[in-house]
Amino acid sequence: MGTVRVFWLFFRVGVMNELQYRMNFVVQLLQSAITLGVALAVLALVYSHTDDLNGWSQSELLCVFGIQILMGGVIKAYIQPNMTRVIGEVRDGKLDYALTKPEDAQVLASVREVRIWQVVDVISGAVVLGFGLSGIVADLALLDAAAFAVALVLGAVMIYCFWLVIATGAFWIVNMWHAIELFDGVYLTGRFPVGIYPGWLRYSVTFLVPIAFAVTVPAEAVTSRLEWQTLVIAALFATVLFVGTRWFWRFGLKRYSGASA
Amino acid sequence: MMSDYAVHVAALEKVFDVPEREAGLRAATKSLVRRKWRQVRAVHGISFDIAPGEIVGFLGPNGAGKTTTLKMLSGLLYPTGGEARVLGHVPSRRERAFLRRITLVMGNRNQLQWDLPALDSYELNRAIYRIPRDDFRPVRDELIELLDVGDLVRKPVRNLSLGERMKVEIVGALLHRPQVLFLDEPTIGLDVTMQKRIRSFVAEYNRRHGATVLLTSHYMADVQALCKRVIVIHHGRILFDGPLTGLAEQFAAYKTIGVALENGHGGLERYGEVIHRDGEWVTLRVPKAETPRVAAQLLADQAVLDLTIEDPPIEDVIELVFAQERPE
Repeated sequence: MGTVRVFWLFFRVGVMNELQYRMNFVVQLLQSAITLGVALAVLALVYSHTDDLNGWSQSELLCVFGIQILMGGVIKAYIQPNMTRVIGEVRDGKLDYALTKPEDAQVLASVREVRIWQVVDVISGAVVLGFGLSGIVADLALLDAAAFAVALVLGAVMIYCFWLVIATGAFWIVNMWHAIELFDGVYLTGRFPVGIYPGWLRYSVTFLVPIAFAVTVPAEAVTSRLEWQTLVIAALFATVLFVGTRWFWRFGLKRYSGASA
Repeated sequence: MMSDYAVHVAALEKVFDVPEREAGLRAATKSLVRRKWRQVRAVHGISFDIAPGEIVGFLGPNGAGKTTTLKMLSGLLYPTGGEARVLGHVPSRRERAFLRRITLVMGNRNQLQWDLPALDSYELNRAIYRIPRDDFRPVRDELIELLDVGDLVRKPVRNLSLGERMKVEIVGALLHRPQVLFLDEPTIGLDVTMQKRIRSFVAEYNRRHGATVLLTSHYMADVQALCKRVIVIHHGRILFDGPLTGLAEQFAAYKTIGVALENGHGGLERYGEVIHRDGEWVTLRVPKAETPRVAAQLLADQAVLDLTIEDPPIEDVIELVFAQERPE
């Protein structure tokens, strides 16, 4: 299990790195509090006018919020920092060092950074999710919980794939920073179940940027509205994406090796 | 036999496609739509072999193709043509067995964890290179001792000076005890003392472990101290491959005669161009073929206290080499 070992090693180093900057923890706490406050205010505002948003009650929507924040924490803790590092290193040539190591380049590129203070978002997301759940059902069915966990993992994999495509794009287009900002904006759409959006947007945030799979599908699981077919589609889509992006990454790497001076 | 060599390079080529446009907004807009490409031949069919344990200096001006060649040999770049083999491996396949036996050190970049003591990064490298703990410690401690960085490896890398950082960087790059070292400007930006330290380390490491070293440097002192053999590359072609001393023989058109006379130094101009006066000591530049005749003449005509004949400084020779466009 080479991959897991490398993952664990860099996790340790990442944690050691982050512990040097305790101030980051305070900043993160503040940032999470503001995000959460704004989100809850919006939610309160929406439900002061209606009791039902496209079939989702306030408590159910709280679950969506919670998952969006939680997944956002995972993205910012792991996926985004690693991928932005790749983009930066393609630019300044430091990726060379990763490529001269006797380890799979994709694995190495994906696990070298970790922002542990983002755990604040993961926890606050989980708490919001807990509140939401407490307003719906007495206790979560085991099957729903399992489906939720699976959907969450699949969603994270898809988001990772999306980011890897952006990072790999840096092999051709050196300046990929705009794409990063674009993602932050688009990710906000995940605060609401994708069903409320018009078709073109729904389609985009499902298949172009897989936010629907990362947030809405897990939310459907915990609110007992997930159909098993959706989970199967998610699994298939995640697999195809993973294989496809791995191929794309290798293709890009070849191009990097062919072009950098 | 090819496998007798640590490095084998035959007719190696690298062509880059580079986008090209004029300066200015209009050209920038145009290139958005239709981009012009230009082919740049960075390495132009070079061939050489390096025996195990050899230290070879790779010389050339900026953009000569040195780094491109080093990158092809360490598996970072795919050659456009020709053949490269390092320890019997084809580098561009990036096989783990190959990567475990080489190392690449680039003087202007660092790969250690910036905020952590180097020891933590070493531990990371130990794991990536899958070095058993029992083998790792003695190697690490030997390197730490050789480079005298015992105190430094416990400080966060960001707190180290440039030279200190380079030393701990080198330790990190050699923990897996590579058999082939590609050193790209390892002493760049360092002060003279630090350059010397790194130089003597490379020599000692090579002596102890028989590692093959391919080194590029702009500091001729590095090359003079370490490399019996140099490969001079310019415009992607090899201009010279041989002993450092042979370089002056082949390329320098003149020698310098240093002379001190008993009765002052008047009238020395007729023997050659006076390029330096330092008290009694006068340095003349004389065409190489003329040197024996001029020296004999001096000894016959003048009351000579001391006389030396030398090749011009290696920097001057290198400059001469690069001034020639094509060797043919």
